Amino acid sequence: MARQRVLITGISRFWGCELAMRLEADPAVEQIVGVDVREPSRDLARTDFVRADIRHSLIGKLVRALGIDTVVHTNLIVDPRRTTPRVAHETNVIGTMNLLAACSGADSPVRKLVVKSSTAIYGAEPDDPSFWTEDMKRRTPPRDAFSRDIVEVESYVRDFSLRQRDCTVTTLRFSNVLGPLLQTPFQALFSLPVVPSVLGFDPRLQFLHEEDAIEVLYRATVEDHPGVFNVTGPGIVILSQAIKLMGKLNAPVIPPYGGAIATAMLRRFGILDWPAHLLQLVQYGRVVDIAKLRDDFGYTPRFSSRETVEDFAAKSRVRGLLAEQTRYTYEKDLEEFLQRKGARGRGDVETVPVP
Amino acid sequence: MTAVNGHADLAVIDHVVGRPRARRPRQGDPRRRTPRPGDADAASLRARLNALQSATERELRRRGVVSLPAQVRRRVPALDRIPRARIPRLPDRERLQQELPMQLMGGLGRLAIGLRNLTGRDVLDLESLQDLMSIGVRAMELRRKHRRGVWDLDDFGFETDYADVWTPLARLAYRRYWRVDASGVRNVPRRGGALLVSNHAGVLPFDGAMIEVAILEDGRERHGRALIADWFFGMPILSWFLRRTGQTLGHPSDTHRLLTSGELVLVFPEGIKGTGKPWNERYRLRRFGRGGFVESAIRAGVPIVPISVVGSEEIYPMLANVPPLAKLTGFPYFPLTPTWPWLGVLGLIPLPSKWRIEFHPPIRTDELPPEAADDPSVVMRVADEVRDVIQEGLVRNLMKRRGAFRG
Repeated sequence: MARQRVLITGISRFWGCELAMRLEADPAVEQIVGVDVREPSRDLARTDFVRADIRHSLIGKLVRALGIDTVVHTNLIVDPRRTTPRVAHETNVIGTMNLLAACSGADSPVRKLVVKSSTAIYGAEPDDPSFWTEDMKRRTPPRDAFSRDIVEVESYVRDFSLRQRDCTVTTLRFSNVLGPLLQTPFQALFSLPVVPSVLGFDPRLQFLHEEDAIEVLYRATVEDHPGVFNVTGPGIVILSQAIKLMGKLNAPVIPPYGGAIATAMLRRFGILDWPAHLLQLVQYGRVVDIAKLRDDFGYTPRFSSRETVEDFAAKSRVRGLLAEQTRYTYEKDLEEFLQRKGARGRGDVETVPVP
Repeated sequence: MTAVNGHADLAVIDHVVGRPRARRPRQGDPRRRTPRPGDADAASLRARLNALQSATERELRRRGVVSLPAQVRRRVPALDRIPRARIPRLPDRERLQQELPMQLMGGLGRLAIGLRNLTGRDVLDLESLQDLMSIGVRAMELRRKHRRGVWDLDDFGFETDYADVWTPLARLAYRRYWRVDASGVRNVPRRGGALLVSNHAGVLPFDGAMIEVAILEDGRERHGRALIADWFFGMPILSWFLRRTGQTLGHPSDTHRLLTSGELVLVFPEGIKGTGKPWNERYRLRRFGRGGFVESAIRAGVPIVPISVVGSEEIYPMLANVPPLAKLTGFPYFPLTPTWPWLGVLGLIPLPSKWRIEFHPPIRTDELPPEAADDPSVVMRVADEVRDVIQEGLVRNLMKRRGAFRG
């Protein structure tokens, strides 16, 4: 197989960065192009960064000009706390639509598309099956904008895979990822000294270790695995167990009825910022089946759900030290110096017109 | 603690990093000897602690950690500021936890004998008391296990240890309250999956618990896994309690997963229509769903064991249903019984009817091809067969029973 030319969306964020770092170490990957509106959060060695918004049709030109054969879409906002709902909708739905439009057509060089999605697509309701498999659909339509967006995004991806028969499409539905450097709702929840929960509810949850998440993303990029896959650590953790493993106190302060009002109050006091679909998750839980990941994809996450929580608990105790370790201040200066001196012989993407 | 050896350093580091409570060192371990008043004066103790701290810092530096975080440094206690009070020696907490139930039981035993001598008959039933007390003991044991990080959860959220906490209470109801007569438990396979199908009655579904106890009482260490209405999973407390004790909801994929992993699955095909029956229609079976349970059994190739339960109808005689109140409270039905809601919470106490549970010979499905699951004629034929067996069993056992509450 010819050497891969990979385009990664959402390079400024954790997933894009981590994947790019993994791909940089792989000699079979010829070129890595990262696209985002902001600069990458880490310093990358041989990844070319293009400041562009996937909401514009520019991506199509970029893909064709560089002969990109693999597109990895990590730019889905699955944690809507950080942006406004409008921006999240624009990025998730319109962004994906544009990206797919850029990758489609008879003249498209794209042969592989990897989309990072979320198990939030299944929702969390009391009458859910105990284990979601990839072919199941939620019975009740999503009530909040974010869940609607995820459903819509995946429907676009499905349409794309039907239209572009020669393109391998992999959709990875990640569950709740936990990692010491990652900002996720559960990380925020478990970092509180007293963890609020819904009175009378103790849901079954699953967690995915960030290392496993990156490994699956990487394998989907360099190997061929068409289809939709649930990705999470094996086994389950119940919320009260997770709180005990974290060494925190469980405070069932959110009433079982009218929880949305209670969380709105917690948000007002700045204690907890919880979107509606997460309240549902903490009330009713969600567990997915990873048999397809194990059998078809050929990967079993190394960390079980419980081990993920335990590892996160251990690492949270030394979070201060970890954050110091990852802060390099001089490497970027060196990179810029080398770039100025023209030490890098690789084709520069500056040739592509970027308005 | 004359020399600061490597082990002491490790212990301190564990303390610093905040590892969960390490295992208790053996008694007589010189490292853990607590300072007593007069043992040494505070100044020398302080000096030794400081020596230990600097040794720790040296060790941490050697391992690449630059310096101790400030809050850890502060944590080294200034012992000379602790008042020299004589602390009474409390009994060891773990020993107390182990011995307290035995002490209590002994006391109750003496009380029971005393009362018998006094009144001339058994006033206290020791066996029941023991059952009730074992709930508390087991709950405490489980708490200790969880604190040690031992959780025996399966992927459905079922924790055998947790179910065992409540088994004594269910057994008490089984033996003493409803005086259940179980027959034919040998028809429940000792290993492998099986689908137990039962009639359903009694407003609040205690029949599931009684069937599960009947299997346990027969010496089969098997927990039945009941499939219950998804409505329960939206209810506070019940939502997690039912899952922790092994129940799950009646989704075909759940059923299939349980049956193929060799579990005993208990289903009530009548569903809520069965429990919400009015008093004058007692022991008349409702429609058996749409035969979904037969499909599941055929797909998994497991036998169906029909069960007739007599006595469950009388625990809450439902005189009337008030649909507007049901709608208001979100319950599937709102019953009026002779006691509910007139007596308030007391009205929730079920009546002590006499129960009989009969397990019928299994109906095999492994002879049918898996495609038969998609054939409505086969499915409905098997469903009707199961229904007839249960209805006949009900009639037979009602005839055997001398009265609804006697016997």
